[in-house]
Amino acid sequence: MSEAGHPNGSSPPTRTFRVYRYKRGDPGWRFDGFEVPVGARATVLEALRWIQLHRDRTLALRHSCLHASCGTCGMQVNGREVLACVTPADTLGSTITVEPLANIPVLTDLVVDMRQLFERLPDEIGTVRTSDALPQASPPDGIETYERFEDCIECGLCLSACPVSATSDAYVGPAALAAAQRLLEEPRGVDPERILDWAQDPNGAWQCHAAFECTEACPSNVRPAERIMALRGALAGGRRTVATVMPG
Amino acid sequence: MTRSAPRASRDAPHVLIVGGGGTGGALAHDLTLRGIRVTLVERGEFTSGTTGRHHGLLHSGARYAVNDRESAIECIEENAILRAICPGSFEENDGLFVALTDEDLEYYADFVEGCKACGIPIEELTPQEALGMEPLLNPELKAAVRVPDATMDAMRMPLRFFATAKHGGATLYNFMEVLDLVVEGGAVTGATVRDQVTGSEGDLHADLVVNATGPWSEKIARMAGVDVPISPSPGVMLALYGRLCNMVINRMHRSGDGDIVVPQRALSVVGTSSWTVEDPDELDVPEDHVTRMRTEGAKLIPAVAQAGFRAAWSAARPLIGAMDADSGRELSRTFKTIDHADDGVEGFVTITGGKATTLRGMAELCGDVISRKLGVDRPSTTRTVTTLPHTAFYAETERRLA
Amino acid sequence: MSGQELPGTERRDDDGPVLRKGVGIPASGWFDPRGRALGGFAFAVNRVTGLGLVVYLYLHLAVLSMLLRGESAWSGFLRLATNWLFLSLDVLLIFGILYHGLNGIRVALVGSGVVPDRQKALWWALGVIGTITLAFSALHIYGSR
Repeated sequence: MSEAGHPNGSSPPTRTFRVYRYKRGDPGWRFDGFEVPVGARATVLEALRWIQLHRDRTLALRHSCLHASCGTCGMQVNGREVLACVTPADTLGSTITVEPLANIPVLTDLVVDMRQLFERLPDEIGTVRTSDALPQASPPDGIETYERFEDCIECGLCLSACPVSATSDAYVGPAALAAAQRLLEEPRGVDPERILDWAQDPNGAWQCHAAFECTEACPSNVRPAERIMALRGALAGGRRTVATVMPG
Repeated sequence: MTRSAPRASRDAPHVLIVGGGGTGGALAHDLTLRGIRVTLVERGEFTSGTTGRHHGLLHSGARYAVNDRESAIECIEENAILRAICPGSFEENDGLFVALTDEDLEYYADFVEGCKACGIPIEELTPQEALGMEPLLNPELKAAVRVPDATMDAMRMPLRFFATAKHGGATLYNFMEVLDLVVEGGAVTGATVRDQVTGSEGDLHADLVVNATGPWSEKIARMAGVDVPISPSPGVMLALYGRLCNMVINRMHRSGDGDIVVPQRALSVVGTSSWTVEDPDELDVPEDHVTRMRTEGAKLIPAVAQAGFRAAWSAARPLIGAMDADSGRELSRTFKTIDHADDGVEGFVTITGGKATTLRGMAELCGDVISRKLGVDRPSTTRTVTTLPHTAFYAETERRLA
Repeated sequence: MSGQELPGTERRDDDGPVLRKGVGIPASGWFDPRGRALGGFAFAVNRVTGLGLVVYLYLHLAVLSMLLRGESAWSGFLRLATNWLFLSLDVLLIFGILYHGLNGIRVALVGSGVVPDRQKALWWALGVIGTITLAFSALHIYGSR
């Protein structure tokens, strides 16, 4: 979207964006309002970058891949946790409220301090897993099984949506517990007992209250709530694997 | 594999790197290992420029084996090095180059010969073998060649360089925008910056300033009164729901639109197209390019036609060459270090061009130029230092290796 | 840090504000319906009914203690207890018991890993059972006047 307007001569309709603003050292936060042209395929992230380029260069926001793979553009849009890069802006009503993620300290504007998420992850976190796509395929010589990245993109939407995290900063959170369950499903040399020990902390798997908001918010099909329940099943003596359902 | 070097001494020369993409991060890592003090400033989140947006291909170089052998050789060398120094950051499933038409087959012999000449290990396959490896391929394919492509996480792999540099003592600032360069007596001595986190502004001083801003290189260079021959050249990419392949699927022909499908987690990314712009901040996502990704991608994997839409976006390549090239495809994909002392401005170096796969190699060569200029007699050691996991960037304490 | 620090950037390490759902009181976060889906809603109602049942328990014991004060006090209470409004509170109590109990079964099944991925289906299925039971109870309670 450029300042010059729509290619066929007319400008797309504008929406009002209410954007949370805060700089370190400010006494408090505030909301700034902007009128932003929103075309048919425009995303919330594109609208925010338009504001950055054409209205206020001091607006800080995180983004990187623009296709829901890096997990950096997580924020609350009209009260719901989303990745801004894949959230259409033209179906959100005439006023769109944009805030940073909840339950994580704000660094500035729409940027939160992601150390809060990363420090809770178990040390042994895996990055690569066996690929579950196209099981009928036979990999070429020299490749035993196809592999792919783990689903979790460390976006923090689950932590923001979790009602337990809203009241307790000690709770380790859905992302960390889901990662632990993944290590039980696919150990890759990690000792399962260590994971179970880590997870049975009072601020671990037992602090979850089955609200399932994390699974609702997750943009990458991690299904953290189901995995936490499976983890609890494992802690109680059983052993369960949560099937990955390919979104389509 | 060795670990990071001890922290730089206070008398070591100080380099200010402008630009927090893969190039800046790799350079910060390279210089830190040589004992040089490093400050890096990036106006947004690290890799938020071009680096984070590409489809994630770890190049085998095969795409350039016929027309741009210099790039091809750079790629295959860096391909092997990156797998070794960034373990766990790739989906290592190799790739296929697939010939669909008789016209494609005319390219086959040159392609195979080019790969061999560049040292790219390949395996020629029958259509049956290819379909066995990738069941969703176009069943009408005529030939296939296996190449050592891989998928990288476009943000997380470069983030490892930032993490390692940070733990080695480099000062890395995201959300710090360069407003102007400080030029005194024919030399660049620093930069005026605004901290977007606190709102404060001020000057940072350094013995040398490096312009590592990719397609924005021209904009920064003009602050020093020099020019760099960079054409921002965007391309469109399309992400679709469904992991339609495990290997990277390439069309066997000279470069064209929509000729690659890269799997990423549970998505498939189809790319890309090419045009040139003046301003890399104003990037459209032309609808006809998005449609072209669908139709061209569907020639390789028919399921692309019906797959659910996830995202469509543009990213600007930093192509070296004159601004009047029409499509951007004719320009070389190699990289360059430009010492602006040749333009009469001391203390200022631009590193630009290149691709995600060659980030470490670019940083090594630029690091060599910078070290010579600063009188630091230490070679690059990035070939053999395993980088810290990307999670180490955020953790307070140094974490175990992946 | 080996590089140069810009004055003012030390504030990057200060504490920053934390957004929480709710109305400013810490525990109100999990009541906030904005952006919530079925699971979060079920969780919030579970807590409300839980609190309600605790309050009811106290009232119930207080009422039973009237038995200690003899027959006329108890008869006075029984007259109150057949009042239309009181009967409606009884229906509300039945709702609380049914909801908390049935949702408790749902949470137990899901939360112990027995049926981890069927939480929505369970909510609706048990909800049907609960609604039918509540309807019968209400008919019986009102019909007893």
